[in-house]
Parts: sequence; C-alpha cells; structure tokens
Amino acid sequence: MENVLSILFCLTLLYLVITSRLKTYVSILRAQGVLLSAIMVFPFLHHLSVHILIIPLMSLVIKAIVIPRFINKIIIDLDVHRIVEPSIQPFNFLLLIVASMSTIFVAAHVLSGYTPIEPIPFASAFSAIVTGIFLIIFRKKLIIHVIGFLILENGIFLFGTSVAAEMPTIVELGSMLDVFVVVFLMGIAINKISSTFAKQDVTVLGRLKD
Amino acid sequence: MAALIFQELLPFLFILGISPLLVGLINKQKALLSGRRGAPIRQPYYDLFRLSRKETIYASTASFISRLAPVVSFSAILVAGFMLPIGYMRPLLSFSGDIIVFAYLLGLARFFQILGAMDIGSSFEGMGAAREAAFAVFAEPIYFFTIGSLAFVSGYTSLYEVYLSIHLDNPSSLVFIIVSSISAFFLMVTECSRMPIDDPSTHLELTMIHEVMILDNSGIDLFLYQYSSYIKIMIYGIFEVLFFNPFSLQNQWLGFFLFVMLLLLLTTVVAWVETMTARLKIKSIPQYLLFATAIGILNLLIYTFVR
Repeated sequence: MENVLSILFCLTLLYLVITSRLKTYVSILRAQGVLLSAIMVFPFLHHLSVHILIIPLMSLVIKAIVIPRFINKIIIDLDVHRIVEPSIQPFNFLLLIVASMSTIFVAAHVLSGYTPIEPIPFASAFSAIVTGIFLIIFRKKLIIHVIGFLILENGIFLFGTSVAAEMPTIVELGSMLDVFVVVFLMGIAINKISSTFAKQDVTVLGRLKD
Repeated sequence: MAALIFQELLPFLFILGISPLLVGLINKQKALLSGRRGAPIRQPYYDLFRLSRKETIYASTASFISRLAPVVSFSAILVAGFMLPIGYMRPLLSFSGDIIVFAYLLGLARFFQILGAMDIGSSFEGMGAAREAAFAVFAEPIYFFTIGSLAFVSGYTSLYEVYLSIHLDNPSSLVFIIVSSISAFFLMVTECSRMPIDDPSTHLELTMIHEVMILDNSGIDLFLYQYSSYIKIMIYGIFEVLFFNPFSLQNQWLGFFLFVMLLLLLTTVVAWVETMTARLKIKSIPQYLLFATAIGILNLLIYTFVR
C-alpha cells in the first residue's frame, strides 16, 4: 500500500512541473502532506498506539493545514501575480524531470539488490528531492522557491520512512520544527523584500544592497 | 445457441449501434451541466441520417484519394473496434500481438484522413492536417507506454488477454489501474478531439484541429467521417472502462451490467471535464500530452525495474 501512495506522490510531482498556477502549487503541497502522513501510518496499522500516531498527526497538521494556509496568506498579502513565470519551457522541464526520474528508478532498482530499501518509496523520495531542487533553479518567483524547498523537505521525509522502518521520534520532531521555522522566516523575508522591491522575483535580487 | 449469436452480435450492436448514443449522452449532459436544455440524446442519429441523404460534392482539385480516404478511415476504425472485448465477451478479432495492430489500424485511419484533407487543396485543411499529425506524434507514446507496460507485466500481447490479466484484488494492480486510467483518459481526450485539446463545438478554422480537416467533405463522406469519430469515442471509452475490470467478477451478466454502468459513468466524467475546463492554448498541448506520456513511463518503470 505504501507503494500505491508513493506512486500517487510521484504523480503529484509530475503535475507540479506542468501546472502554471500558484493555487495549484499550494493544493499539491496539501495533497503531499496527506499522502506523507498516510504513508507513515500504513506500516503500523496492526499495532496502533498514541506514540506512533504523534508524528503522522503532527505532519498532517503542519504539512497539510498550517503551512499551505500560511503560504496562501503570503500570496494574498503580497498580491503575487497568480501565473508562474518559468525560466525554462515547461515541455523541456517535464522532459528533464522524466529523464531524472527514470535514472532514479533504475538506480533504486540496482541499489535494492545490495541494501534493504523499499525501492518505490525510495525512488519517489529521491525524485521529490530532485524536483524540489529543479523548481528552485528554474522558477523566478520567490514564493515558489519556498514551495520548492518544501517539496524537497517532503522528499527527505519520505526518504526517512523508506530507508529506516522507524525514525527516532525526537529527530522527526526536530525536523518538523525546522521546516516550520524556515517557512516562517522565508515568509518574513519575502514580506520584507516586497516592501523594498515591487516585484518578488529573483531577477531583482541582484540589486539588493545595504 | 441464442447466447452464442448474442455474443457475436454484441460488438456490432455496441460499435455500430450505440456509439452515436454515447456522443448524444455526452452532449446532453454537457448541456445540462452548463444550464442549457440541449439537443435530444438521439441527435447524432438524426445527424447521420441527414448526412446520408445528402449529395456528395468533391472539390475540383481533388483526386481519387479524397474518394478513398473516408472509406479506408472508417473501415480501419471499425476493425480496430472489433478488437476490444465488450464486457466479458471474447472480441471478434483477437490474436497475440493485436495491441500493435490496434494502434496501427487507428494510425492508418488517421493517415488517410490527413491525406484526404491535404488532397482537397485548401490551405485550412492542410493546416488542420499538420496539427493532427503533430499531436498524434505525442499521443501515440501514451498508448504504447500504457498498454506496453501492462503487456510487460502480464506477458500477453493480445488486448483481450492483457485485460483479463488485471485483478482488482492485487494491490499493485491498483496502482496500475489508477495510473493507466489517467493516461488512457488523456489519450481519449486527444484522439477524439475533446475539450482540453480541441473544442468540438467551435467553428473557427484557426483554432480547430480535427474539425477543420473535414470542412470540405459533404454527403456520404462526411457521414463516414462523422460516424467514425463516434466509433472512435466508443473505442476509447471501452479502452478506458476496461481498466476498471469487470472480468474479475465471476458472474458474466453482472460483469456486463457493470461494464455498461461504467460506460455511462464515463460519459458523465467526460461531460463534467468538458464543462469545467477551457481549451488549452495550442502551444501548451504538447506538454499536456507529454504529462500523460510521463505517467506511462512511470508505469513502465515501476513494473519493469521494481518488481
């Protein structure tokens, strides 16, 4: 069942690449949050306990509710133009992602022969990391850089669940706090930048001075 | 005996008889969803009847290709239609390797339609033919990746056996069904020139893809083109519906009933999608189709490398 959910996760990544609306980006983040918490719960369905449910519930609340809401608030506050301006043709971007995804799946298949990993969640997680990085590289809007970072983080999260059966709770809690703080800081930073520059775009950041 | 005759007649009934009804249903639901009353469900039959009684006129520049193209395209699509199982039945034509023949019969139909459009000598038709050919390049990989990965998994190369091999109780089949049905839906929308790719109801030559190719056809030629486009929707509808496989049900009649219900559900989904979405810019169609291909590639990756 984790495989099914991981494939759905991969589909959201592909959709992320071709969509051109900010609203869709946020709803994809929300969907990924739900998928991730479901992936975390599934292996322990037979012996559920409060201790196991803490992390999935927290990730559900933070990733699927709090962060998307916060990003939506930033989008509305700053009145960001709703259409994404890519610095690469979406068609080429999709080709790039498909090529890297294929490489990753083949690599995961090879790796699974040597180490005990679950190949499909592993490959999906890796694809999410790569997609996040590419999003940061190829999109001009600062708010999408935040979203790209979150996608990357989702990938790392899934990575943890695919490599180790159970991560130490304290590590996961720490990473969750990190993400929350980073998004918060980025929101403040974008807010500040927007009071200096009218356009929240990486192209204007070259003029940033004291 | 009676059951056997029924089984033989069923494909004719579905492919030739009911396919205009399917389009009528889609159009009716589309009208209802957008708050209009809409044409009656039988309207496609009336259209076909009207066209069949009209005189056929050929352009002065047209050669024998124009006369040949509608017939070839219609018959190729018809034969392709007979390769798909209706409900639980074994199709009329089924042999190993027919997944490729199926694709190329549809390709042949498209090729002759394009030739026929170019033969007439109008620049609009040439433009439409160019578009049809260009988008077909992106649409064909969707089919091959989707059905090809299933053929890889099951080890069969006949559509009937490939579909038989899907079992709903297997969770990895579930992934396949979700992923394949998405890309099959994209394929259906593209091949039948439905909404996000092409708007079947516009009559502006500059934006049409499929409709512009048949602008200069009339009478029985237009009848054949129109009829084959209805059959095409039926074919891709069956292609999509079979993924939610009623074969696994033990009771044949229940399976057949489920099949018909799923087809009806599909008309609702198509109508709903057409009401909700606007036509894509022609520039962004390739990336839309590549998205479906990417889904197919993902499918293939899962099933060949990670098993």
